[in-house]
Amino acid sequence: MKALRAIFIAALAVAINSGWAGEPNNADFGFPAPGTYALPPLRGAADGAVLTSEGGATTLHRVFSGKIVVLSFIYTECGDARGCPLASAVLAQLWRRVDEDPALAQKVRLISLSFDPAHDTPAVMRGYGQRFVREGADWQFLTAASEAALQPMLNGYRQTRQRAYDSNGMSTGTYSHLLRVFLIDEHRIIRNIYSADFLDPALLVYDIITLARHG
Amino acid sequence: MDKSLSFMNAVVLSIAGLGWQPMAAADETCMSPYMAKIVGQEDYVYVWTLGQEAVGDEQDKLVTIDVHPKSQSYGQVVHTLSVSGRNEAHHGGFTDDRMHFWAGGLDNSKIFIFDVHSDPGKPKLTKTIEDFVAKSGGVVGPHTFYALPGRMLITGLSNNKDHGGRTAMVEYTNDGDYVATYWIPSDADFQGAKKSGNYADGYGYDVRALPRRNMMVSSSFTGWTNYMMDFGKLLKDPEAMKRFGNTVVLWNLHARQPRKILDVPGAPLELRCAWGANHNYCFTSTALTAKIWLIHEDASGDWQAQAVADIGDPAKVPLPVDISLSSEDDVLWVDSFMDGMTRLYDVSDPFHPKLRYQKRIGKQLNMVSQSWDGKRLYFTSSLLANWDKKGEDNEQFFKAYAWDGMELSERFAIDFTAEKLGRPHIMRFGARALYAQAPASDATRIAVTSP
Repeated sequence: MKALRAIFIAALAVAINSGWAGEPNNADFGFPAPGTYALPPLRGAADGAVLTSEGGATTLHRVFSGKIVVLSFIYTECGDARGCPLASAVLAQLWRRVDEDPALAQKVRLISLSFDPAHDTPAVMRGYGQRFVREGADWQFLTAASEAALQPMLNGYRQTRQRAYDSNGMSTGTYSHLLRVFLIDEHRIIRNIYSADFLDPALLVYDIITLARHG
Repeated sequence: MDKSLSFMNAVVLSIAGLGWQPMAAADETCMSPYMAKIVGQEDYVYVWTLGQEAVGDEQDKLVTIDVHPKSQSYGQVVHTLSVSGRNEAHHGGFTDDRMHFWAGGLDNSKIFIFDVHSDPGKPKLTKTIEDFVAKSGGVVGPHTFYALPGRMLITGLSNNKDHGGRTAMVEYTNDGDYVATYWIPSDADFQGAKKSGNYADGYGYDVRALPRRNMMVSSSFTGWTNYMMDFGKLLKDPEAMKRFGNTVVLWNLHARQPRKILDVPGAPLELRCAWGANHNYCFTSTALTAKIWLIHEDASGDWQAQAVADIGDPAKVPLPVDISLSSEDDVLWVDSFMDGMTRLYDVSDPFHPKLRYQKRIGKQLNMVSQSWDGKRLYFTSSLLANWDKKGEDNEQFFKAYAWDGMELSERFAIDFTAEKLGRPHIMRFGARALYAQAPASDATRIAVTSP
């Protein structure tokens, strides 16, 4: 029953443990300074019907609210007991860095959107968010009213998610998914996509500054 | 950095505390680190195959072979999908979500995108990119397809101005939309990179990345005029023989900016980067000079290149082509085209590879792909339509072997000429469990992120 989850977490742990060694110290191969590199437009960020953690019905684009958005797809069952999801913890680290510059912080919004609407009700998302959010952080925890409401957003962001089954063909209640985090500019254009290897708060904040100051 | 490192350690410790043990453990071993891996038994091998005149329908095709020993169709071609005409089918790669397989034609620069997730045993052609040259600003010969998060990085081999070796890397979204072009630095334009030796040719071939070092590395081959020329004629043309790449370029991965140009003379082709946490190095082999080169990070965080071993007798020009590094970075398989040999080097000390085993696979040999556990190896025969051997020496095959640590034992072989398929080239693995179409058991295990 727990086979896939164990595999996922094992793989994630190996990725963190061996694949992520911090910013290289050589100037040529360190993270490039904000504004010295391009973040070419990738595609428009999809919209969709979502529920806020207070249960209010709105749309993803309304939540964007003209800010620079870091959007992460998650599901709370993935993280409850295992120290996951990596994305939420990195976003918490990211906010601390963004918050060091109040002018920058005003331009940024973090969004965690569940891809497990059956389990992750607004109340569940609210509880999940409380574990990560520091006071004053602009971080929204969203879910969808149904699978039907969610699916266009999964399609729009090409977020794969497959229910995991054990060797007897029974659902494990977990999902196999490729971790993806999206950087979206004020004009709702996706400007970068991160997977586990790239989920470094320093890199994310450089990209945000690049968008905020250099467009 | 310190704070985030502390966080990472905390996560690792919390997982370790749950009793998780690292997976033992690699053409699974040459995939982008951003991609889900098949770390158990693969179900299929996809073979991007050049069409050959007077062989079958003569068209390029994606051939799907069942390689699961427990399958009723084990060892058989279970599906073929022909694309239009002959495009000089060569290399290909999966998107990071492993939903699609992109494959290129070196002659006309077409790119074919196959859906491999809807039915992994029956890929479907979903899109053909026909304007790669125009969109990219003149890049010709899409070669390597390297997955980045949500994107595909494609190396070129040539350009549409002189059809020589000056070229670029081109980035696309997974949807097949053009993003950007990054020209390889040359004497005409260093683009901010440092020329560390004698060469800055601007040529391209393969690309790999070490995200943990924010480093990307590209190698160099030759342009359209040479790779479309008859091989015998090419060898007799001294001017043409001067037009081969002699460089490896190190890039700042995140910025996609070239930083350093290293001399690696003799057409460095395939690049394979190590997987280990502190293994900050990559291997390449030079086709014309028959050497294994190590591209390694030094104590200052800078990158250097060093020839570390000969492959066969370089004076006999064995023409090493594909290489495959094991998932534990301990052994490197090296195929050479002219003598049809595969050689196994112990690279546990990457600065001093030791030849441990060798075997002749056929009259000509090109690609080698190994399973993540290193127990299964697959070989194909074709190099380029006009470079393959002629007459009886033009064997075209796919061969599956088992490796027990001492000996390669053939499991099955498919004669691509007798089966009217063509010239088999690059191989990639498929598994139904990747798409939740089979349980992820011990037999077929999937790693969602990179080890």
